[in-house]
Formats: sequence, structure tokens, C-alpha cells
Amino acid sequence: MGGMQLLRTYILPRIAQWAVVIFVGVTLTFLIPRFSPINPIDDMISRMTAFQTIDPEAVVRMRANMEDLYGLGGTLLEQYLAFWKRLLQGDLGPSFQNFPTPVAEIIGAGIPWTVGLLTTATILSWLLGIFVGSLVGYNQHRRWAQALERVVIVIYPMPYLIIALVLLVVFAFYWPLFPMVGGAQGTPALTWDYISSIFRFGFLPALSIVIGGFAFRFIIAKALATTEISSDYVQYAELAAVPKRRIVTSYVIRNTMLPHVNDLALSLGAMFEGALITEVMFGYPGVGSKLFTAISVSDYNVIMGITLLSIVGIATGSLIVDLLYPVFDPRVRLR
Amino acid sequence: MDAIIETKNLRAYYITKAYGVERTVKAVDDISLRIQEGEVYGIAGESGCGKSTLLRILLGAYQPPLAVVGGDVVYHLEGETIHAPDITEEQQRDLRWRTISYIPQGSMHVLNPVRRIRDSFHDFISAHRDVTKSESFQMTAEYLRDLGLPEKVMASYPHQLSGGMRQRVTIALATILWPKLIFADEPTTALDVVVQRGVIQMLKDVQQKEGSTLVLITHDIGVHANLADRIAILYAGKLVEEADTRTILTKPRHPYTKYLIESLPNLDSREERMSIPGRPPALDRPPSGCRFHERCPLARDICQTIDPEMIQVEPGHRTACHVVEEELSHEPVA
Repeated sequence: MGGMQLLRTYILPRIAQWAVVIFVGVTLTFLIPRFSPINPIDDMISRMTAFQTIDPEAVVRMRANMEDLYGLGGTLLEQYLAFWKRLLQGDLGPSFQNFPTPVAEIIGAGIPWTVGLLTTATILSWLLGIFVGSLVGYNQHRRWAQALERVVIVIYPMPYLIIALVLLVVFAFYWPLFPMVGGAQGTPALTWDYISSIFRFGFLPALSIVIGGFAFRFIIAKALATTEISSDYVQYAELAAVPKRRIVTSYVIRNTMLPHVNDLALSLGAMFEGALITEVMFGYPGVGSKLFTAISVSDYNVIMGITLLSIVGIATGSLIVDLLYPVFDPRVRLR
Repeated sequence: MDAIIETKNLRAYYITKAYGVERTVKAVDDISLRIQEGEVYGIAGESGCGKSTLLRILLGAYQPPLAVVGGDVVYHLEGETIHAPDITEEQQRDLRWRTISYIPQGSMHVLNPVRRIRDSFHDFISAHRDVTKSESFQMTAEYLRDLGLPEKVMASYPHQLSGGMRQRVTIALATILWPKLIFADEPTTALDVVVQRGVIQMLKDVQQKEGSTLVLITHDIGVHANLADRIAILYAGKLVEEADTRTILTKPRHPYTKYLIESLPNLDSREERMSIPGRPPALDRPPSGCRFHERCPLARDICQTIDPEMIQVEPGHRTACHVVEEELSHEPVA
């Protein structure tokens, strides 16, 4: 199958699919708050007029101004078109809470923290989970493998909150090796102090994510490896005394890569929702914290901004999975 | 000629225990045979007669619930005598592929689907020889050329090859290190006859090139007729007859072998073929005496109670049958 044909029959349709998913997602994000019985402008005006009396005429003008500002004026179609226009310019509108700071700026401030934390933690737990899980699946009759599996099975069902809380209590409170709250210390600069503080502050939140993510991926990898070792090609390679590490890597893991790649891309795509619970628990200044604050004060524009970002993230994640499939499974190239 | 592998009163049973009920399947029961160096030894019999089990035991590739419960398997390799049931894992790893190799049943899925053929060859070669990737690629290319396989298969993935080509590649993969002893389990099953012919020819070439010993298992007597020097007939976990191929095909003595040969199609007579009455016995509760007696038209009382011994009909022709034994005792000694 030539490159051009692959592009036409495989790559382009998937890019089109990606565009459709984003279009539908953005449209729904636009519509859903408009069907909500709560009108954010009424909400704001009533909040403002709760403590002081304002000239009704001023209220009417204020309403018009705000409708204009938030894109809530005109017919639904006019609003929709204006919404897209602003979106394509990267304008997500102003925050309600921190008026007039643009939403893009608020989210932008959280993104490096969230992306840094989650990329590291997700990739680490992914690699560890696959490697250890496959190794245990391959050696399932060995005692060490069974012991390890039992440990993971105990960890796996623990609610994330408990894991995070235990880590905090043990390693930040009783035995203060790590800070409790925050993302870094000092003024941002390329100094050892500042950069090492990023690692120190990120360690516990990352560890909490790695533990949960590892357990989950371990169980999946182990299950996949267990079916894989009964396959004819693994059995044959064993019969031929192909070294075990080669069988684990090139046979077992390599053949179970598709679901793992799928999982990784989707996990990374979902990153922009932020690790809400993690960030709140550890007071980490990422997108998740912003989302949490925005939800508690009904800051619609911020919520919508994060939702849109995560739609694009997940759609792009699954696009990458689709584009990576032929790399990981030569059989996909035929289709 | 010297034996390369022999079994002595070999018994191998599947012993399972579920909910406190123990079940023993006597898949290989008291089989003694000697396979000579350089010959093609065919093992025939219907499904479930213990052919594949026997092969797994000979190859030393078995796990519980299958276990050797009695007898011995002896390899005579390069002047060394090795008792297979006592072999260490390390010894076995050393023997595999370099000395003893295996062409599996249903080779459709034995090649790693996400690995190019040449990489699979490298995996198998480098497991036993200290070679670089380019050295093993070169070995593979030469060997494939010798066997008349197109060189372009090296860069292919298994799914890009036809069934016949995949089987040929598997045979090449099994024999790339010139093993002295090759076990092949139904190597031609599931291939159409034209492809079968090519595969049979290739097996012949491989075996003759280095004078390897080939132990060939198939239910297809036609394939045995083409390849085997000697044939052993298995019935319900027992060896019932063994002779050179011509004798088995033309002068079988055991009633079961006779049925088996008579059931083959024959162009000269279009009459309906005889099939063997009844069905093969379950091996967890085999019949007493001769295991074939329930289906045997010649069965006597003795057949129901006493298990017949292997007897020699003439040099190189053995069978286990009371009726034949009786006939022989009446025949004048030549």
C-alpha cells in the first residue's frame, strides 16, 4: 500500500473525523448553557443590586453591555456565529469572577503546571504498569509475580482520595519531606532553587497519580499478557528457547500495544480537564484548580473554556491513536 | 543404523483433578519404539489416538496435567545418551533448534504477527548462536534461497503471506540451524493439495540435505506414503503396528491397520469404501484387553481380557494382535 493511498484512505478520513468531533463538541458547549434556566447576566445583576439600589435605566444599559460582552445578544444564530468567530481568534471571553481578565489568560496560567504534572505522571505510570504487568502476566506461576499481583489488587480499589490523603498526611505532615500546598517556590527563573522546587512540590501529586494509574494499567497489562502467552507464536518462541526477555518485549508487550497506546493517547488528551481532585487536594495551581474555583462561583466562561480545551484535547488524542495504529500493528495498514 | 531416539514402555497420562474427582487419560500407554538416525518415521492414527501427545513427550515439551508416569525416552545424540525425563531446563534449551526442532501443527499462527519474517528468524537464530542481526539476515536469505523461497518474504509480515508460504517459512524457521532430529506435527493439514505437494517436497529436501531424522505425525496416510520410510500405527494410546511403509500399505496385519488402508480411495475400484464400525474409545476409560476388540470383526474371547504384546511378524514388522499371534504359531517356520 503506497503512501498516497494510505493518506487518502486512512489519514484524511480520520482528520475529517477529528474536525467533525470538535465541531459537534463546540456546538454542544455553546448550546447547553443556553438551555440552562439560569441566566448568568440576571445572576450577576441580582448579585450587584442585592446590596445597593441602582437606577433601572442603568441596569438596562448594563444588561445590554454585558450581553454584548459575553456574546449573549441577538438571535441564537447570531450568537453562535459570533461564538465561533471569537473562538477562532482564541478569545474565550472574560472571566465572570475576575472581570475583566480574559479566560484564555486564566487557563493559560494553569496549563504549564497541569501539563507538566500529568504528562510526567501519566507516562511514568503507563510505562511502569505495562512493563511490570506484562512481566507478572508472563510469569504468573512464579511466587514473586503472585505476591506482586496481590499487592496491586489491594491498591487498585482504594479511592484516589484516600491515597492522596495518606501521602499528604505521611509525607507532608508527620514527616514533612514534601510541601503541602503549591506548585513551586520563589520567583520563576532558570535557577536550581526554583526548578528543584518544581520537582519537590510536584512529587506527591505525581506519586499519587502514578500509584493509581500504575495499578489500573498493571491489571490491564497483566490480563492482556495472560491471554497473549497462550498464543501459538509465544508458545512456539518458548519452545524454540528464545530468551524470555525477548519474548516479553517483542512478543507479549509488542502484541498488546494497541490498547495501551489507545489508553495513553486518551489519558493525555483528557489532561486539560486537569487532575481536578489531585490539584484541589495538593493545592496545585493547574487547570483543575481553576476549574474547581470556576464551578464553585459559576464562572461559566472559564468552565466553557476548559471544556472546549478538553474536547480538542480528547479529539486530538484519539486522532493520534488512529494515526499511530499502523505503526504499532502492521495489519492495520492493509485496511 | 543407530537409533537416535527410543522409548521404552513409555506411559504418559493426563491427570486432572476437579472437584475431588480424579480423571486419568491414558494418551500414551506402554509404547516402545526406536527411531533410526536419518530415517523418516511416520506416526499415523485417527484423531485422539495420542499421536500429538506422543510427539510432545518425545520433544520434551509438555506441562501438567500431562506427565510421564512410566518408562523412558532416550536420545542418542552425538555419542551422548540423554534420558529425556531427567533433562534439565538448561540442557533442553541447548538442544532445542540446534539439535532437536519442531514444525508445529497449524502453522498459521506461530509467526509473530507484528514482526517481519526476518526479525522472527533473527530471534530464533540469535537464541542459539552468537550472531549479529546482519549475519542472521544473511543466513536466512541463503537458506530461503536454497529452499527455493522468494527472498522478498524476509521483509514481509506473516499476514501478507499465503497459508502455504507461511507453512514453508515456518518449516524454514524450524530447520534453519540444521537440527539432527525434526518433529513435524500435521505439517500439511489445512493446506490444499497443490500446496501440500510443495510442502511435502520441501520437507523431503530439508531432511535429505543434512540427513536429518524426521518424525512425521499426520492422519493422512497419503502424506506418509510420500515421505515416510517406516510407519507406526497408533490406536487409542497404543502402538498397534509398525513396519516399513511398503509393508504397511500392502501387507498390513493388524485388523485396525487393514481398515485404515482399505478406507483409502483407489482409482481402480469405485466401490464404496469400508469404514471402521463403531467409534474410538474414550481414553479415560479404555476397554479391557485389546483396545480395538469392540470394533474388531476378528475379536476372540482372549481379546476382551488380555492386552496383546508386540510381536514380530517378520524382521522389521511388529504388531500387537492375538489373532496374528495365533496365525503365526500355525504358519510353518520358513
